[in-house]
This record gives sequence, C-alpha cells and structure tokens, in this order.
Amino acid sequence: MLFTLIAKQMKMLIRNKQPLIILLVMPLVLITILSNALGSIMDSGEEAAIQANLLIVDNSSWAQEEKAIKLFLEQEGVNGPPLEAMLIQFKSSDPVELLNGTILASDEMKKYIAVDYKKYVDLKVARQDENIDGILNIPTNFRLDYVKSAYFNNTNLPDLSLYLNQDNEIRASIIESVLTDWQTGYTQSAALLSADLSPQEIMSNVTSVEKLEQTLEANERKIPASIYYTVGMLVMFALYIPAFLAGFALQEVQWKVYDRILLAGVSPILYTLSIFFTGTFVAFIQQVMMLLFGMFVLGIEWISLEAMVVIIVSYSVFVGALSALMTTLQFRTKTEGIANVFNGLFITVFSFLGGSFFNIRDISETLGKIGDFTPNGATMSAILSIQKGQDLSVIWPFMLAIYVLVVVCVLLSIVFFPRRGVAE
Amino acid sequence: MLQAINLSKRFKTKEVVREINMELLAGESVGLLGPNGAGKSTTISMLSSLVQPTSGDVLWNEKSIAKNPEPLRKTLGVVPQEIALYPELSARENLAFFGRVYGLKGELLETRITEVLMKIGLTDRQKDIVKTFSGGMKRRLNIGAALLHRPSILIMDEPTVGIDPQSRAYILETVKQFVEEGMTLLYTSHYMEEVEMLCDKIYIMDQGKIIAHGTKEELKGLVSENQTIELKANLLTENFEKTLIERFPTATLHIEEEVLTISMSKSEEPLATIFAVAAANNVVITSAIVKVPSLEDVFLHLTGKALRD
Repeated sequence: MLFTLIAKQMKMLIRNKQPLIILLVMPLVLITILSNALGSIMDSGEEAAIQANLLIVDNSSWAQEEKAIKLFLEQEGVNGPPLEAMLIQFKSSDPVELLNGTILASDEMKKYIAVDYKKYVDLKVARQDENIDGILNIPTNFRLDYVKSAYFNNTNLPDLSLYLNQDNEIRASIIESVLTDWQTGYTQSAALLSADLSPQEIMSNVTSVEKLEQTLEANERKIPASIYYTVGMLVMFALYIPAFLAGFALQEVQWKVYDRILLAGVSPILYTLSIFFTGTFVAFIQQVMMLLFGMFVLGIEWISLEAMVVIIVSYSVFVGALSALMTTLQFRTKTEGIANVFNGLFITVFSFLGGSFFNIRDISETLGKIGDFTPNGATMSAILSIQKGQDLSVIWPFMLAIYVLVVVCVLLSIVFFPRRGVAE
Repeated sequence: MLQAINLSKRFKTKEVVREINMELLAGESVGLLGPNGAGKSTTISMLSSLVQPTSGDVLWNEKSIAKNPEPLRKTLGVVPQEIALYPELSARENLAFFGRVYGLKGELLETRITEVLMKIGLTDRQKDIVKTFSGGMKRRLNIGAALLHRPSILIMDEPTVGIDPQSRAYILETVKQFVEEGMTLLYTSHYMEEVEMLCDKIYIMDQGKIIAHGTKEELKGLVSENQTIELKANLLTENFEKTLIERFPTATLHIEEEVLTISMSKSEEPLATIFAVAAANNVVITSAIVKVPSLEDVFLHLTGKALRD
C-alpha cells in the first residue's frame, strides 16, 4: 500500500513540468552559473575570502633606538664587550622583528593576513579606510621600553595600540587573535627570561598561535566555488520539495481523491508516512543527481563517501519530515498559504543564513552561527567540513540539529494530522 | 442496512444538516433530491463516514460507524460530485491506483479494470491521459473508479453535473443497469427526472432538513389527487361538453377559446371515453395533454420555490 501511494506521488511529480524544472533544472543551471561567475573571485587565492588587511604603523625602528638603548645600558653599568653582546641579543629578540619577520612573513599566515607597513601615518585617516581591517600602532621608544621592562624590571611597560575595523568582524578577529598571542608571548617572555627561554621559543608555544598554524598547515582541502555552490544549491533546492508534495496532497483533498483513498481503508497515518517517504526519496535522488552533476560536469572530486551518505540521508529524512508537516498544516488550513510563505520567505531567509548565496560568516560570525541551526545551513556546514578533509566527528553537532528538527516535524505531523476527512 | 438517526452537522455557526432520519435497505434505490446548498453532499459525507456528525449517528447493520467505519467503507462505492481522478494519469493508471488502494492486485486487478472500462465505455481510451478527456468521459471514469472493488452500496453525488445530454443519457442508462442488477443505490441530484427515473424511494431535502419522503406516488399524492386533461379541438360543441359531464359526473370542465380543460380524479383513465364522445359529436381533437403532478410540483408545493432556484 505504502509503495502504491509513493509510486503515485512520484508519477505526479514526474508528469508535472514545474516541479521538475524547479527541483532539477534550476539548481543545475544556478550551480553552473555561480561556479563560473564567482569562481574567479573565490578561487583566485587560497582562502582569499577571509584574508584580512593589517596596517602596521611603526613609529620606531631598531636603528633609531639602538643609541638610546646603548645609553640606557651604560647608565645601568654595562660596558664593553658585555654591552655589545647584549645589544646583539636584544636585536635578535626584538618582538617587532619577530612579528614582521617570522609570524606575519610565513607563507601560511600570508593567506590570512596581508600586511602593509607605514611610518608616521595619520591614524584618523587610516581608520576611515574600509579596506583596512586592523591597524597596529607601534609608538616611538617601544623597543627601549621593552628592553627596560623585559630585562631590567622597569615598570614602564611598552605600549601598543591596536585598532580593529568592527565592520569586518571576522577579518578583525583574525588580526586580533594573532596579535594578542604575539603580545602575550613577548610579555610572558619578560617573566620567563630567568628560565633561559628565548622569546622565539615562548612565542612558538603560545597555544592559539600554534592552533592557527595547525589550521593553516593541516591537510585541508581548499573549497572552490564549484563545490561551494553545488552544496549551496543542493541544500537550498531540496527545501522546495515539501511545498510541492504538500501542494499535490492539497489538490487530492480538493479533487476528493483523498476521500476516496480514506474510503478505501488507507489510514491517515499511512498517507502521511507515504508523503514522508516520498519527500525523503525525492530529496535523496535530487541531491545525488546534483552531486553527480558536480562530479561529471564540474569535475569535483567528492571525498569521504560514507560521511557524505550520512549527511545526505539525514537531510533527506528532514525534507521528508518537513513534507509531512507541511501537508498536515495545509490540510488543517485548507489553503496553500503555508507552502507559499515557506517557498517565498523561509527558503530565501534560510538560504541566506545557511550560506547558499555566499559565506555568511564573511559578514557576521553571529549570523553564521544562527545559520548552523537552519537545516540547510547545518547540512552545508557538515558537507563543507567533510570536503575540507575534516574528520567524520565534525559533522555530529550539525547532524544533531537536523535530527532534532526531524523529531519536531514528525511529532507535529502526528499530533495535527486530520484523522477523518479534511472537510471537517 | 444503512441508517441515519437524527443526523445534524454544524460548520462554525451554520447548521447545514438538521436532524435527518433516513434509511437505505439492501437492493433499494433511494434518491436524495434537493436544490444546490440543501445539504445533500454533507449528508452523503456523513453517511459514508468521511465527516463526523455534530450530533446523531449513522448505523451500518445496526452498529454505529462513529468509532469503527471500516466495515461500512469496505462495502461502499462513492462517486463524488467532483472529478476525483488524477488528471496527469491515464484512465487505466487511475483505475489501477484506486484498485490497488482497495487491495486488488495482479490478475484480479487487471480483470476488474478491463471489466469496469467496458462498463463505462472507455476501453478505447484507457491509455489516454485523463486531462485530455471530455467532461462526460471524466464523469464516466469517476463512476468507474468507485466500482472496481464491487461495492454493494453505490453512493452517487450529482454524477451528471455539467455534461452534455448524450453523456448524461449514457450515465443514466449505466446507473439504471446497476439498479436492475440489484445494487443498492443512493443517488443525489437536483434533476428530478433523474431521481424519478432511477429511484424507488425519494427523500426531498431543503435547507438541511428532510421535508418529505416516500415513493414517487406517495410524494405526488401530497400535491393532489387529481389529474388535469387539456384538449385542443375544432368546433367544441355544447353537446360534446354535456356528454362529457354525464360520463364524468365528478369532473369539472372549463372552456377557453379552443381549449377544454377537464379536472378529475387520478383514479380515472378518461382518454378513450373522451375520444369516443368526440367522434360521436364530430369534434376533431388536435391535441390531448394529461397533466399529473411532478416531483417539481411536489417541491414547489412543499417549499414554495422551484427545485432549481
């Protein structure tokens, strides 16, 4: 019986042009267009989408301050060869040089932070520049103050100013993270010098810097536009399935075919189940077709097949559950209003938050986190994580959101589905 | 036996069916006659267990269907007023689907489909998509879909609405055949001639209430015990009129221009006598119309309005 109902729903879908165009043709066309149109931007450099621009305004320099440091050492009673040796050591452990020459100069860090160096900049003007995500202002006498503080327990601590562009939250946070770790590192170095640890060693042991370096150096795959938009369209267009199935079900009610089905002894629960399974099946087929399109037409190599199966099946089950819920609500209201609102408003908002159009985290981390709670956003994040090469365990928090939504949809469908005819 | 006991249905503030009592015995063909909006379809929905009554009950073989409608549903074939078919599927695919939901499969299903297609005269068009069918063909297939599981009771809700006279005649003949084969029929219509042709017992419904019921004769008896004969003749003579009064002493006669109207009891069969008297008096009768009360007259008599108002 269940098979008969599912087969009939499949026939209705296949023999209607509109669902076929929206569910299959449109996403394939959009994947092709977006992959090509935005590919040049997205694929131009590795992780270019999240590259932050840092301006370092260095009002000081070693050459400029060496004289003052030498004078300070002489005043402290250091002379002759020991003084020369100390100068060499101070120069080699200059925190600004460590930042510029080691941390920011690494190839991996360059993908995330593009650095521009200037001297004596008008900070007011520089801070108005929307293209700058952060400004690090190094004042005159910074190195002298650092030497005094780190080696001679002077209470005059070296002072730095960091200005972050709040409009570019993500990029600003990258800069903040790296510079905070750097600052923490050289501050700690002062206290740990007695243990004969050099600032470089301390810096390399700072946890978050290490973490960031690991992120950059791990065997992660770059996500090109073709993968991004295939996944984006895949999760977005699957959301159109429930409205079509609920629309067909409402037509069955209006045509009194549903009455005939009930009179034949088919229980409303079985009918709802048939919608659930049809939705799941159609979503699965639709997603597989898009993945195959990506593979054979766009040349995408999908990795971690078993994780992909888990994600796709879970999302398909969600689409099935949503189809059953939408059918229930339409049977209750006896109008297509709910499907229209869902198609016209919810899918657009969900797709925006979920990142189908572009990476929402480029705008706001908060919106990105909200997006992870949308079914499409959670699925997209899970697939992209897997395609980056991350471990299977990374998908479970996303899948949990999907499973919770499935349970909610199924429970609401069971509670609200009309037990007799819909005429009541 | 299917019985409706004090059946009422209220949708929000509107009471569309009010305390209806009906019964449908095995082998009977019962008509439910009433104008559009009288509550016929809601009554049928309650009788077929699709709509829960607000009050009252429906009994199938003396057991309420409220909690267990399945035994009734298995025996019912319902032809709704709407075309309850899938327009994108072919006639055969539609029948196959409805057959399968009734649990038919394999060879039995194929045999039943072929049988039904022959009954409704659509064998030649079985592979065509329903949306390409004419209104009449869709109506026939609509009936066919209710026959696959060989129901013992057929409920038809205005099955001839909106179709051409030829298709209508075909459908009526088909339904008449079902009745002659002994199928129990509940037929609703606002066409009194259909109900008159097909049904032994008639319920007349208006504004949610059954306002009269009985056999055709019993209902017509509500209007009048008399019949009226209108004669058109050349040279109506006084002698002809006088002879008729002698022959039919209880009749009343009225002459206006060349039309003689005679009103007398329905129990009399006067035409042969009238023609004999006319011949004896050299009166040439050009037309004779015997008027007996129709169901239309009954409805008019009971409600003060015409059936199709």
